[in-house]
Amino acid sequence: MATAVTTATLAPSSGLARRIVELIPGLLLLAAVGYAGKFIEQSIAAYTKSHRVTFPNIEYVLWAIVIGLIIANTTGIPRIFQPGVATYEFWLKAGIVLLGSRFLLGDVLHLGGISLLLVAFAITLSFTFMHFIGRAFKLKPKLTSLLAIGSSICGVSAIIAAKPAIDADDEDASYAIAAILALGAISLFTFPLIGHSLHLSDKAYGLWAGLAVDNTAEATAAGALYSDAAGKVAVLAKTSRNALIGFVVLGYALYWSSRGEARAIGNKAAFLWRKFPKFVLGFLLISLLATVGFFAKPQLASLANLSRWAFLLTFAGVGLRTSLRELGKQGWRPFVVGAIGEVFIALVTLGLVYGADHFLHL
Amino acid sequence: MSESTAAAPRRGLSLDVYAVTLALALALLVRLNLIPPIKW
Repeated sequence: MATAVTTATLAPSSGLARRIVELIPGLLLLAAVGYAGKFIEQSIAAYTKSHRVTFPNIEYVLWAIVIGLIIANTTGIPRIFQPGVATYEFWLKAGIVLLGSRFLLGDVLHLGGISLLLVAFAITLSFTFMHFIGRAFKLKPKLTSLLAIGSSICGVSAIIAAKPAIDADDEDASYAIAAILALGAISLFTFPLIGHSLHLSDKAYGLWAGLAVDNTAEATAAGALYSDAAGKVAVLAKTSRNALIGFVVLGYALYWSSRGEARAIGNKAAFLWRKFPKFVLGFLLISLLATVGFFAKPQLASLANLSRWAFLLTFAGVGLRTSLRELGKQGWRPFVVGAIGEVFIALVTLGLVYGADHFLHL
Repeated sequence: MSESTAAAPRRGLSLDVYAVTLALALALLVRLNLIPPIKW
């Protein structure tokens, strides 16, 4: 009896300890890839400075993603590293919460409010458009719904949140996720180029990246690739967009259940709370604490740097989890529909950001 | 991919809560000067 009790008591903690140990190799890989990116950026900067060579500064973000992509698509990620690599999203969320320390609550409300306004407008347009092209390409209606949710709200998390709510197939969710991930990878390289060619300000570019790039990790990276200030604004805009996830998923769940093709929603407030990304609250809390002077200036610098270290692990993970072979297997139609939708959303949001910059003075 | 999709809703929620908890704990440690200044 005593043995049984001891075993039962020890089992959860030993299970937890084992799970933590399993994370270590992958975490070390994330740190090594991220730090290699930082090291390359610093080495190139030091070399070009000492030799008086003019060379554009390539952010560590890009190096970390490229190194990750090379590893993932050549040797692959051995099984022992996979649990730790999968934590990149955890570091992203912790990094976003800590980034709240770099915003005064007034700025959050100002830029967040503008973002919400633009997101609401862009979502309405993009849903209509995605359903139109989904029908034109004869995609299954629920796959089109998932693609529309993924491309207008927040990529993979939104698809994952919507899948059970609208009773979509695993296969549809996989197609939608693959298309969104592939498009996110492409936007990492195209957005900064377009932003520079249009001479967008840090704020305008950050807002655009936050509103148009789907996945939070890619939106954060696309912003940081432009500049530190743009990265900050991209995270804020993306966080505002994420906050709408529950409302959009609820809307779709109600639509599909009214057609008898999904379960009915009981308590709508509880549903909204379940789907609400809680890290948004953490971000607002840290921003509030920073605004009321809870932290001294050097402490705010430490929090900002902690956030950068967390993002460094995230960016390494973005490259490491992108398997070009897997993405290629998923068929061309969801990808084409997603791509057309993305280009449409990117153009609409770019127009909106231009308008907001002009009329609302970002 | 299907596997992660199926397992995700529960994991997604706890992931957020753990991430917020870690970030707030770190912020508190910084506020109480219990960890040295973090450099970049």
